[in-house]
Amino acid sequence: MKRLMCFALSLLLLTGCASAPAGQRAAAAELEADVSSTRHVEAMDTIMALSAYGSNREKALDAAEAEILRLDALLSTGKPDSEVSELNRTGTVTLSEDSKKLVNCAFSLHEETDGAFDVTVYPLMQLWGFPEKEYHLPTQEELADALARVGMDRLRLEGDTLSLDEGQEIDLGGIGKGYTSQRVMEVYRQAGVTSGLVSLGGNVQCLGTKPDGSLWRVGIQDPWKTEGEIAAVVEVEDQAVITSGGYERYFVDESTGETYCHILDPKTGWPVKSGLASVSIVSPDGMLADGLSTSLYILGLEGATQFWRDHSEQFQAIFIDNQGQIFVTEGLKDAVQADAGFTVIPQSEKSAG
Amino acid sequence: MNKRLRSDLLLLGGLAAVGLALFALLSLGRDDGVQVLVRVDGVVTQRFSLSEPRSYTIQTRDEGVNELRIDDGAVWLESANCPDCLCVKQGKIRYAGESIICLPHGVVVELSGQDELALDAVTQ
Repeated sequence: MKRLMCFALSLLLLTGCASAPAGQRAAAAELEADVSSTRHVEAMDTIMALSAYGSNREKALDAAEAEILRLDALLSTGKPDSEVSELNRTGTVTLSEDSKKLVNCAFSLHEETDGAFDVTVYPLMQLWGFPEKEYHLPTQEELADALARVGMDRLRLEGDTLSLDEGQEIDLGGIGKGYTSQRVMEVYRQAGVTSGLVSLGGNVQCLGTKPDGSLWRVGIQDPWKTEGEIAAVVEVEDQAVITSGGYERYFVDESTGETYCHILDPKTGWPVKSGLASVSIVSPDGMLADGLSTSLYILGLEGATQFWRDHSEQFQAIFIDNQGQIFVTEGLKDAVQADAGFTVIPQSEKSAG
Repeated sequence: MNKRLRSDLLLLGGLAAVGLALFALLSLGRDDGVQVLVRVDGVVTQRFSLSEPRSYTIQTRDEGVNELRIDDGAVWLESANCPDCLCVKQGKIRYAGESIICLPHGVVVELSGQDELALDAVTQ
């Protein structure tokens, strides 16, 4: 009989345990490896989502938020007292450590992409009305005038001093978010976090893997569907995944029905029509991924493929063309899933035939 | 078999029944599909299934209002009285791991699920 009572009691206890594993919870609280915190920050004209795992997560998120706000104050073209605004206003500035890294990266990207990447397109962007979203179809004269002020080859970098040519203005926004996500990863590491993710308005970078060792799953926006609907998924560890596409911002000329996207060709001054709908770059270097996503969009599939073949040790890529076809560089062939299927771009040109 | 043993058996049976009922209740209450979580100032105030169409008005501090819609396997904020309406512009989300944020009202609408196809982020 006593045995029966014991059995009944243990049954009752078991039922209780199913909903409250007190012992397990204590152990998890001690490690907290799989506990995450998420924070949202409004900066750089977008909403950023930051998440970090482990017992140092709150400390890491505090530091990351402070770092984002610091970089926004330094790089914003919209804040009159930023370093970039000072340069654009006075024509010369002594670069801080961060700006120096950005400017050096900009110069090397400009050279490697044969001028497709150019931080001096800002006067053109303003002419088309993209920064203020007050769109304007420019005349040939206006375009020629703005184009005369574009060109990174006319910037002068002497030591830490960067000087603009007459009428030039720069915007480091093309690599600024990538640099910021890169810095957030460093801040996470310094705070003792080994697993975390940032999404800076669609620029994603992850640290390590998820706490259970599985890869981060990053969706690639479907260019023709509403925000958040995806065309493919890429699984990554310790990588930035950054996408550029004409669908992000554009306007339609009502008299002709023509669409003009916000990615401008620095050589012609016109919105790019390269046959691509979007380019996603996967690289451990967020700043490089950011710069290349725009540049390779400008180069088009053929130019971008050649560029990747020459630099495949630095990044991998996913291209979606205007017909909706998905192309994936060889290094990602096992990491990408797409309902519509995809074509692998091989490393060596010969095996493509 | 004496009276006490019989009453013990009855007690045991009763306990087992209560246990089973609790278990069934917990299992039924669990939805294996994707859940829509509404957070206001960090606190979960509502939980809906993504598979059931509905409209819901999220009330926030300072008379803030965000109109939520669930339909066709997606959730979105249809309108809001926040200054910039960035939350409305964020459009529809449909995958576990995605979220819509309204910073002025402190509202986060997030999709959570045990779905192994859940996304950690979307790049756009």
